[in-house]
This record gives sequence, structure tokens and C-alpha cells, in this order.
Amino acid sequence: MLLELKNIFKWVTVGGNRVFLLKDVNLQVQEGEFISIMGPSGSGKSTMLNVIGMLDGFDEGEYNFLHESVHKLKEKQRAQLYKQYIGFVFQQYHLIDELTVYENIETPLLYQDVKSSERKAMVADMLDRFNIVGKKDLFPAQLSGGQQQLVGIARALIAKPKLILADEPTGNLNSKQGEEIMDLFTQLNKEGVTIIQVTHSEKNAAYAGRTIHLLDGRIEQQVTN
Amino acid sequence: MFKNYIIVAWRNLLKNKTFSLLNIVGLAVGLACFILITMYVMDELSYDKHNEKAERIYRINSDIRFGGNDLRLAVCSDPMGATLKKDYPQVEQFVRIYNSNGSKMLKKGTAFIEETKVAHADSTIFDVFTLPMIAGNPKTALSEPNTVVISKSAAEKYFGTVDAIGKGIEVNDEQHTVYKVTAVIKDMPQNAHFNYDFIFSMDNVEYGWGNFLSHNFQTYVLLQPGTDYKAFNKNFKQVIDKYILPQAKQLMQINSMEDFARTGNKLEYSLMPMLDIHLYSDRFPELGVNSSIQYVYIFSAVALFILLIACVNFMNLSTARSSNRAKEVGIRKVLGTGKKLLIGQFLTESTLMVFIGLLIAIGLVWLSIGYFNNIAGKTLGITMLLKPGYLLFLLLIPVVTGVLAGLYPAFFLSSFQPIAVLKGRTGKAFSRSNFRSALVIFQFFTSIVLIISTIVVFKQLNFIQNAKIGFNKDQMLIVNGTWALNNNADAFRNEVAKMSGVKASSFAGYLPVSNSSRNDNTFSTEAVMNEKNGFNMQVWNVDYDYIPVMGMEVLKGRNFSKEYGSDSTALIINETAAKMLGFDDPVGKKLYTLVGNDNELVSYTIVAVVKNFNYESLRKNVGPLSMRLGYNKWATAFKVSATDVTALLKNIETKWKSMAPDMPFSYQFLDDSFDNMYRAEQRIGKVALSFALLAIFIACLGLFGLAAYMAEQRTKEIGVRKVLGASVTSITTLLSKDFVKLVCIASLIAFPVAWWAMSTWLRDFAYRVSISWWVFGLAGFVALLIAVLTVSSHAIKAALTNPVKSLRNE
Repeated sequence: MLLELKNIFKWVTVGGNRVFLLKDVNLQVQEGEFISIMGPSGSGKSTMLNVIGMLDGFDEGEYNFLHESVHKLKEKQRAQLYKQYIGFVFQQYHLIDELTVYENIETPLLYQDVKSSERKAMVADMLDRFNIVGKKDLFPAQLSGGQQQLVGIARALIAKPKLILADEPTGNLNSKQGEEIMDLFTQLNKEGVTIIQVTHSEKNAAYAGRTIHLLDGRIEQQVTN
Repeated sequence: MFKNYIIVAWRNLLKNKTFSLLNIVGLAVGLACFILITMYVMDELSYDKHNEKAERIYRINSDIRFGGNDLRLAVCSDPMGATLKKDYPQVEQFVRIYNSNGSKMLKKGTAFIEETKVAHADSTIFDVFTLPMIAGNPKTALSEPNTVVISKSAAEKYFGTVDAIGKGIEVNDEQHTVYKVTAVIKDMPQNAHFNYDFIFSMDNVEYGWGNFLSHNFQTYVLLQPGTDYKAFNKNFKQVIDKYILPQAKQLMQINSMEDFARTGNKLEYSLMPMLDIHLYSDRFPELGVNSSIQYVYIFSAVALFILLIACVNFMNLSTARSSNRAKEVGIRKVLGTGKKLLIGQFLTESTLMVFIGLLIAIGLVWLSIGYFNNIAGKTLGITMLLKPGYLLFLLLIPVVTGVLAGLYPAFFLSSFQPIAVLKGRTGKAFSRSNFRSALVIFQFFTSIVLIISTIVVFKQLNFIQNAKIGFNKDQMLIVNGTWALNNNADAFRNEVAKMSGVKASSFAGYLPVSNSSRNDNTFSTEAVMNEKNGFNMQVWNVDYDYIPVMGMEVLKGRNFSKEYGSDSTALIINETAAKMLGFDDPVGKKLYTLVGNDNELVSYTIVAVVKNFNYESLRKNVGPLSMRLGYNKWATAFKVSATDVTALLKNIETKWKSMAPDMPFSYQFLDDSFDNMYRAEQRIGKVALSFALLAIFIACLGLFGLAAYMAEQRTKEIGVRKVLGASVTSITTLLSKDFVKLVCIASLIAFPVAWWAMSTWLRDFAYRVSISWWVFGLAGFVALLIAVLTVSSHAIKAALTNPVKSLRNE
């Protein structure tokens, strides 16, 4: 098992009342799964993804990741953990404007102290695999949305994570570009990468093996596709 | 439209409180410095301008080199003024000022008071200088002996009323002369190169009149309107040939000026415009403490640079914040506003900001003027700002500064393309800009130069304090005016010497600090004096104890001693004199000099060479000096041990009062007098330090704002990097790195500039420190440290922010 959420609660206190963002969420994810999270706006999709990605904390419950109890870890160890095992993909791509495609992809490796020669090989590999060798010296502003997201995924994959968390990865793309991205995810999943994506689109959700429906912070139903 | 500008400007000011505060505080401090320094500079430039004929008044300077000794004098011989007036119609009038001892004892009631603002002058002083009279007739005021003209405050001090004409003031000279007050003048202004409360008649000066070879009188001439003083200088050659040469021939066998010059000697006279004296004259003896144009330049530059630093803050912060304004610019443009109107709007904003800063600055000036006067040695008043000329200047400041600071941001902001900014594509243009980098470099360049200058000035001051000056200045008590005790002087000295805590004593009329008595004479190595063997040298009358008490070192020979009956013709010379004479062993050699009013040639035998001691400021090399046995009881030196100095002083004063009840007891410590010689340097040090700190403060305000903005701008990037695994350290480094780079570049530019500037300053000192590399290292390090501390607080804050917040979708 890759990760397990047990009775996770997360709330904010507004005017003395608790407003629940996540309410008793239980989830088990096996290695190699492909999961979609769906739900209306404000249902807690992004919050759940952030909790899984360890970017955000929670107030109650247990979270085990690869047999580590995340809720017991210190900030630093947690950072160490997600740096090593998790890659993120964003709706707005979140590439660094001042860096080229090549440098953007390389960045995570810098933070993991990978040697220069090794970095070069890894980035070259990734550029090759995504067919963007020709664009390696371009800046994000010079790319189309689909291409930017491709770079975003490449960056997420560069450190060979076990888990990819994607927050509406196709939200800003047209349908053709979106399809390409989803095909890419399917292929990555076949190669063994676990993927959890948040999406609004039924069509994209269907690429996954399992769909989790959220409503008001709680898991309403889980459907196996 | 203008009202609309002001409203928008005001709202923007309130909306961004932090930025407005940083801007206004920076501008206020910068403007306060600027106003203070401008007041200082205006005061310096205003010296002597109150004289109605100021442009036509000139002082006669003398440049003499005789026997290898250079003299640059502010005085000339007594008949020179009258001679010029007689022979040259261009000279309308002349006046001589004589101030030999620099102080007089005047009787007030039953006791004598020492007055230092005293001089003798010709009655023509009122024709040349503008000295408005409250009572009395300027034509006759000083035309008779035993007359004195006093200032309003002196009249009030001595007589309790301005109405003092006809009253008498007794002076404690040998005859106890009573001078009659013939006129009361308004107090002389502070910004004049001399300032007296008592002007005595020249007729009371005892002097061997008509001597063209002795230079003792400050002489001013009033030239006819339209006279070219440089052309007039050529006439001095005639004067020398006609009047001076005959006297020189008689006394020293000098036959022609050509022969005189051929042996390396020089005698030159020239006119110096009176208006130049305060800032350009560094001669001997000056009538007051002069300043230097160098300091006027330095201060002006500092004022300008500090104001520029404040303007740069404004430019930096405004352009950095530009993306906040971009949308407004876009909308205004879509609504049809032209670029010109937008520029006008932004300039209005900057002027408003500067105006607020100016109001605060005036408050700051009001608060700090006392401190500034203290460190700069001035008596400036805030009322100076109310003069019409200055008021206009004050009103111009916000306009000029507002435009200076606002022009670049105005052009920058008004050139946005409306479509681009409205679609939110502001992006890259705001985050990094070479121009802004250059501005930050400029700020730190200025700060670093100021830091280095401050360090060097203090290093030099420290060097002076600890320099080997060839005598012992510590724990040396000098009791002034012991000559007034007359026959009791020896008794006083002996009694005090017996007190516990007093180790040794000596009469010490001549002291190795500036502004003490000096006496120079012409000596020759042969019994017949001529232009080849003659030279000028200081000759001090000292007693048997002077050299050991002063801690001077005899290198060769022996000190004066009672065991040798012939020591009245013994001479002790210093190393410079020995070197100049060129004897292998000077001890035992004879020197000749002219003595007395009838110029009798007397021979002296050198008995010792004393190690050079600095008897003038360390700015000057040690000149030739000799000491002969004699009693100059003008002052008495006591070597004391530091147990209870206050009690000792009390004892000495009691002793003094018992011997001379009507004489004031006045004393000084030699090390204080020594420090006084470097007052100007100490001032410069303090001023440089103050302004260096302020410059850095203002620069840091800007940097603080800039760093805050950069961090805000890069929130998204920081979020992304954190998600990708960046640590707090690496984010902090990332954000600080750019600024560190700029400070480093600024250092590299500042180092040579500061080195050049400070080398120039140090060149004024014959004895000076070297500028070692660590000074640069330290200055660079301090600037870097301050910059990093300023920036990193924001960087750390940004780095600690949870990326989820910065990357949220909405």
C-alpha cells in the first residue's frame, strides 16, 4: 500500500463555529493506481490533494505514507518525504517565468543535490521522452498552454516520484491538448506511476481506475471504472 | 484635473502605507541633511560679504624662503601699506591690524579679566571695513593714542550700558595704560575672518617702526574701483628694489635681488582678495580660524548625494510598485488619457510626496540643528531659513526633487500598453530592471564611499593621538599668564613645584602646539651675514628645565647647565636645523644672529642637537628650530602625576590668588591644546560619520521596500520552488543573492573612488596613515551585512509562507 488516510478531519473556525473542509475522510491507495477526485466547487478536492501532498496539514486523523506516519513527522522530514516521492502538476502549470524549459525541468533535481552530470542526463532523457528537445531553450511565455503543461509534467516526473498529484491538469487546455495529457497520464500509469488527479470533467475522470466523489468535505461515493 | 490628481495621489499614499512611509521618511531624512548642509555651505560662502567694499579689499601676503626655510605669511612689514598708498594711486586706503599676543588683561571693577578678542589697528580700519558704529565718530575714533573702540557686548559687559564713550579701560601692561573708549560698534558678525570686541589704537604698539624686513602686521589695502589686483601684484618688484633692498644691503650684505634669488632664496608679495581669506587662506598667522574650500566641496557633494539617495529610493519603490498602478494606467488610457497627462499626474504625486517629506524635514532640521552646530562648529539658526532667498530655495526643493524623483517612474508607468496590462500581462518588466539595479548600486556606492572616508578620518585622528611627537604632552599642566606675577613668578613656580603631585616645573613661554608664542630670527654660519649663509629659524627662550620637563630627547651634546658659565651664548638646535646646516657634527659650531633694535651681530655655540618634535600641527613638517637660555615667563609648565588633579588645581589656584588677587587664574593641559589643533579633523570625522550613517539608513529604507516588493512579486515562484523541495535556506539565498551581487558591484566601484578621495585628503598631512586594504574589506563587509540583514527578513518571511497559500487557484 502506498498511502492511507484514516478518519481525517480538517476545519477552520469562523466566528466560533467549525467549518469542516474535510470530514472523516478514509482512503487507501495502492501503488500503481490511477484515481480521479471529483466534486462540486468547494467540496474539498484541492484540500484533500494538498493534504495527500503534505503541503497542508490536518486537524485530526492519521496519514500513513509508505509505512511512515506523516502526522507524526516533523516539517523537515515531511518535506524530505514529498520531495523524494511526490510530483505535482498544476492547472496553471506554475512554471517559473524567468527560467527556460530546460532549467524549469532541472529545478527539482537542484533541490535534491543531484550531481550536475547526472542532472544533464536526466533532463535530456525527459526532453527526449516528451518530444520537446527543440524547445528546451524557450521561456514559458513562448509556449502554448499544452506545451507548458507538458513541461510541468516533465518537471513533476524528473525526480522519478512514486506518486503524481495533479490539480485539474487540463483545466486551462482545449480538448485536444487535454486528451493528449490524459493519454500521457494513462501511459505513465501503465509504467507504474501512481496518479491522483482532481478534475471537473467526467470524460477525464474516466481515464482513472477509480473515481472518488466528494461533497462538503466528505467522501460521498467511490466508483470503480 | 489637478484636483483629481491630488485626490488620487492622496488615496494612493494612504492605500500603500508602508511604501508611503518608507518613501516619506527617506525623503525627509535626505532633505533634512540637504537643508542642513546647504545652510552650512551658505554660511561658509557668506564670510566677510557684509563689508560694503568687500570686493575691493585685499590682504598683502608675503612668501619668503630664506636659507631653505619656507614662510607663507599673512602679514607684511609695517611701512608696506603706507608705501603702497603713497606710490600707487590705485590704492585708495590701507589698514594694519596687529595682534601680537592674542590676549590682554583688562580691568573690570577691581579684578582683571583675560580678553582674547583684542587687536590694535590703524584709524583707517573704518574706511576699509564696514563696522557700523552705535556711537562715536569713525573719522577720529582711533586717531590718538590711548583710545579704544569696543563692541556693544563689551560695553555692556564692562559698563553695563552701551553708552560707554569717554569711559576708561585699564590694561595690565607695564604702564597700566588706561584707554579711553571713543566709539562703540555693533558686534562683529560671526561670519567674518576676524572678530574683535576691543580695537586699540595702533599708536600704543611699541615697535621698531619703519623696518621693511620684519613681517608682523596684517595689512589690508582698499583698491580703487576697477583695479586689477593681479596686474597690481607686478608693482611689488619695484617696491622691493626701492625700499627693501637698501635695508637688506645694510643689514645682510644683500646686493641685488638677482643674487638673492640665485642662492635659492625668495621674497614675494601678493594681494589676496579678502573674500578668499576664509576659504583659501592657510597662512601664518591668521586672525581667526579659517575653513577650507575643500570642505565646502566635500559637504556640497555629500548633500547632493544624500538627496539623490533619497530620490533613488523614490524611483525604485515607485517603479517596483508599478504593477499595482498598471491597471489604473490601462483604464485611464482606454478612457482616452494621453501620455502627457499621465506623466503630469505621476509628477504631481511625487511632488506631493516630497512636499510632505519637506515639512517633516524642516521639523528634523529644527530638532537637529543644535547637534549639527556642535559637531560642525557653527552657530547656525533655524531663522536662516526665513530669509527670502532661502525661502524661495525651500519652495523650489519639492518641485525640483519631485521632478527628479518622479520623472523616471512617470515615463515608465505612462508607457504601459493598455491591452497588455488589462489582460494582466504585466509579468516580467516589473520584476527585474537593469536601471533599478543601477540605482541600488549607486546608493550603496555612496554609502560605501562614506563608510571608507569615515574609517580613514578616524584612523588618521587616532594616528595623531598616538603619534611619536618628540615630547610628552600627557599630564602637563600649563598655567597661563605667569608673567603677570612679575617678581613673584619664581616664588609661585617654586611653591607649586613643592606641592605633592607635582613632579617638575619649567617656565614655558613657547609651547609645542599651534597658537602659542613663536619667534624666528635670521642666523648665519659666518660672522658676516649674506644671502648665501643666512637662514631663518625659530629661536625659543627656555630655561634649564624645559627640555627634561617636556620630555624632549637630546641626541648629541648636552642640555643647558648651570655648571657652564658660558651657557648664555649656548644654542640647542633640532634635527631639521642640523640637517639644514650640513655639519658632520654640529656640536661646537658657531652661529651668528642679529640681536636688538640696533641689529648687533652676536655669536652662539651649538651645544646639543635635540630630537625633532612636532611644534606645529602634524600637517606640517618639522621646521628648523633652536633654543637658547632665557626666561620666558609667559606661562609655566608643571609635570603632574594623576592622583587628584582637581584638588591640586584648587591648591594652585589658592596659591595664585594669594600672590595675584586681581589676576584671573587660567590654565590648560597640554594634551587638550594638542587636541585643539585637530578640531577641524575631529569635526570632519564626526560629520562624515553622521552622514554616512544617514546615507546608509536611507539606502536601507529603499532596500527594505524593494526587498519586500521583490518577495511579494516572486511569491508564486517561491511557492513553486518550495513545492519542488526548496528549503528555507535556499529560498532566502535566492532572494538575497541579487542584492548581494549589487552591493558587491557597488563596493568594486566605490573602492577606487574612496581611495582617491581619501589619499587627496591625507596629502594635507605631512605625517599620515596609509590606507590599508582592511579598510576596504571592512567597509564592504559592513555594507553587505546591513544589506543582507535588511533583505533577509523579507526573504525568510517569504520562504516560510505555506506554498498552498501562494499557489491557490483563485
